[in-house]
Amino acid sequence: MARHSSEGRLVRPYTMTGGRTGQDVPVIALESLIAATNEGRAMKRQFRWEAERVIEYAGQGTALIELAALVDVPIGVIRVVVADLAQRGAVEIIDSSGGSPTDLEGVEYANLLKKVLDGIRSL
Amino acid sequence: MESAASKPARQTPVKIVVAGGFGVGKTTFVGAISEIEPLRSEALITQASEGVDELFADGKKTTTTVAMDFGRISLQDSLVLYLFGTPGQDRFHFMWHELAKGAIGAIVLVDTRRLDACFAAIDFFEQRDTPFMVVVNTFDGRLNHSLDDVREALNVSPDVPMAYCDARVRVDVQNILYQLVEYALLRALQGIPVS
Repeated sequence: MARHSSEGRLVRPYTMTGGRTGQDVPVIALESLIAATNEGRAMKRQFRWEAERVIEYAGQGTALIELAALVDVPIGVIRVVVADLAQRGAVEIIDSSGGSPTDLEGVEYANLLKKVLDGIRSL
Repeated sequence: MESAASKPARQTPVKIVVAGGFGVGKTTFVGAISEIEPLRSEALITQASEGVDELFADGKKTTTTVAMDFGRISLQDSLVLYLFGTPGQDRFHFMWHELAKGAIGAIVLVDTRRLDACFAAIDFFEQRDTPFMVVVNTFDGRLNHSLDDVREALNVSPDVPMAYCDARVRVDVQNILYQLVEYALLRALQGIPVS
């Protein structure tokens, strides 16, 4: 659950993105992992608070949707913030093997599913 | 270039969608196995996409938010499995495309007292050719209907796996996830194009 309701937000969400709604940024999948780079950590104070928090929460890899929940802004906003940070080299976007799992070749995809299956069995 | 030392450990995200009618137990299902408390993220609907206007034809609202519940499970081999609960209300079905894109498969949770609540989800995954299975939530301990009866009532293909599950019980949920991925793997090996 979000830690506070929308009433507690002091800025309208799209003010954070300069009014951009993400039409001009590549769509980052909800489950894509966002990882902070060393450069990003070094320069995080130069960014606005929401970008700074993204870098803090991202760590070694946190899904886009998780960042939206943690920073407590809508997914569309977090997409714009993350895309900007990625462009500046402050974060790295980790998709599964360079794309969504279903972009993989048949054999590669089957191997991924086998690993997932083993992983679930070992839980 | 970055040095090797500065590179984070390479993780691979994968996802499974948990669908079904409002109140069928999706959040309970996700929470039973997620290593984090299921989180809720909101998408602000502001884009005037086609068909949206009529949804708000009552004139009260021009924007709204849609909440998506999700959980995370870290697996071995640096895999991270995300479980996404679909927004329950019918008017948010357009969000399902984004959720289903790149998903390993989907679980359609069913409450046999309100079978019709899952029709939309089944139609959606059938049309999209997403591997899905039907799971009857027995959270109230009732097993009034055989899986065969449910299959017949839902009119799903004989290939679609069906199972009972108590969405509160971790091992039940784990078994369901296993069966779904096994089914997705079978289809992948048979060369059925994945969505």
